[in-house]
Amino acid sequence: MKYAHLIFRNIFRNKLRALMTLLLLAAIFFLVATLLAINSAFERNDTGGTGDRLVTQSAFSLANMLPFAYEEKIRHVSGVVDTAKTQWIGGYYKDTRNNVALMAIDPNKVESVFPDYKVPPAELAAFMADRTGAIVSEALATRWGWKIGDRITIKRQIFPFDPQLTVRAIHHHPVQKSAIWLQMPYFQESIGNFGRSDMIWLKVAKTDDMPRISQEIDALFKNSNDPTETYTEKEFTRQFVSMMGNVKVLFMSVSISSIAMIVLLAAITMSMSARERVTEVAVLKAIGFQPRLILTLMLTEFASLTLLGGLIGIGGAVLFYRSVDAGAATQGLLENFRIDPQTTAICVVLAALVGIIAGGLPSIRASRLTVVDGLRRVV
Amino acid sequence: MDTLVTIDNIRKIYKRDAFEVPVLNGISLEVERGDFLALMGPSGSGKTTLLNLIAGIDRPTSGRIVVDGKEISKFNETALATWRARHIGFIFQMYNLIPVLTALENVELPLLLTKFSKKERRERARTALNIVDLGDRVGHYPRQLSGGQEQRVAIARAIVTDPSILVADEPTGDLDAKNAEETLELLRRLNEEFEKTIVMVTHDPKAALRAKRTLHLEKGLLVESVEAGASPALAVP
Repeated sequence: MKYAHLIFRNIFRNKLRALMTLLLLAAIFFLVATLLAINSAFERNDTGGTGDRLVTQSAFSLANMLPFAYEEKIRHVSGVVDTAKTQWIGGYYKDTRNNVALMAIDPNKVESVFPDYKVPPAELAAFMADRTGAIVSEALATRWGWKIGDRITIKRQIFPFDPQLTVRAIHHHPVQKSAIWLQMPYFQESIGNFGRSDMIWLKVAKTDDMPRISQEIDALFKNSNDPTETYTEKEFTRQFVSMMGNVKVLFMSVSISSIAMIVLLAAITMSMSARERVTEVAVLKAIGFQPRLILTLMLTEFASLTLLGGLIGIGGAVLFYRSVDAGAATQGLLENFRIDPQTTAICVVLAALVGIIAGGLPSIRASRLTVVDGLRRVV
Repeated sequence: MDTLVTIDNIRKIYKRDAFEVPVLNGISLEVERGDFLALMGPSGSGKTTLLNLIAGIDRPTSGRIVVDGKEISKFNETALATWRARHIGFIFQMYNLIPVLTALENVELPLLLTKFSKKERRERARTALNIVDLGDRVGHYPRQLSGGQEQRVAIARAIVTDPSILVADEPTGDLDAKNAEETLELLRRLNEEFEKTIVMVTHDPKAALRAKRTLHLEKGLLVESVEAGASPALAVP
């Protein structure tokens, strides 16, 4: 601690350079924290589900819909308690920035297959009774001031159809905060009774039976025109993400590139700073500072600088994303997005490591500098 | 008076790429405790190298250096650094203060390597600054001081650990006549009142006159030794 003032003063010896370096570090670590949090959100795959659901979709892609008839066949597979065909519709409310996760479902299946949406029974009954009724999330209702009985129009995104809905119920799902359910019959009629949907959800009696049930369902349709793949809810979310390419690898690549970039930039700054202080280091060594102490002081200084910049960036990210509903902005894709303690800890460690790696070489050089060589520049 | 520094047949050869450059070619001398020794000579004569060897910031190619009973020429880098912290006070031509630290903090620097508490360190640093008559400049940064004041802060830093020897390399080389005079007077006081042993490299004959003894070097050899007030005499290695 007795060297703290020396370290602190050296960090801010060139105030403009220190400020620019801190801003750069903050910007990079804001980006890295964001990317790691997105990756973490995908990894977490916490759909808030019940854990006893499987989902069947086309083996080709989610864009290939499955015939309604599949639902009945699946319901008869041993161990399946109930099924619900659903259709992802998507859309936005008033402005394209206000994305919502709009989905169609047979109204009598909400309670039996998706009890985790926690819809009050009276409201659920009202939804079931209204062909154009909607179950909206509590978060969306709060955000847009929707009340039971309000008429809302969701603008089209995929299908040629702008649903005009009446809010009949409000769900309280812990994760799916941008989800809106509408009735499957209303959707089907609006697009011309297509008779197909992109997903069939099924609830199982025993979770231990999930692998068997998955295999049996997929075997049922193996030789049909519409072969299926059946996953757990978590695996489905992962598959959903993978539709956009290997997002994890992409984000990790950008994160690593950002870190590498900041290491190089920090190394340049730190080398300049160390070079300016060759004589001072020689003086410190002359008056008895050991090489190891010089190395420790400089590494601490450089790590403190990057740590401070990192903390500003990470802190900024935490505050920024508190005011942004990532789930709504991504139509529910990033419902789990948050800068959690683990992401914060990783970024903090990375920030300190950037300082140690970038400042390592100039610090080692300074610690190895002989007093005579260092003083020769001016003496 | 007893002998503080014994230099015995010292040679120093620098290697520059494939070339060997002999700088000191077998110098022997003794420095008594309380002495004020000036080293003079033309550029390249080896006077700064000799000073560096006495101060323990360089090591001889051959020969023996004994300071206060310790043969420092046998010390490794770590031991030398520890030894310097306790026994040597440095005064440089360009002062070499740390620009981001105040006068008080600069003087306190060598004490960071001791076990003194912060309060003790600050008290000793203030005392040292008072000795150099800068007690009213403790909070000033080097950029806020004149050249002469900076050099006095550097002298306070050099004496704050109460070292055995003060080594000064051209301490007046960057000062005007008035500040040079004040600095030399301060060194004289430290030598006479505080009995500090001083070894000073200088080009300035006037500065050398303040020393009790002046040694002249040429081409790495001691060629002349002059006691204060005496006629020049050939040095005996």
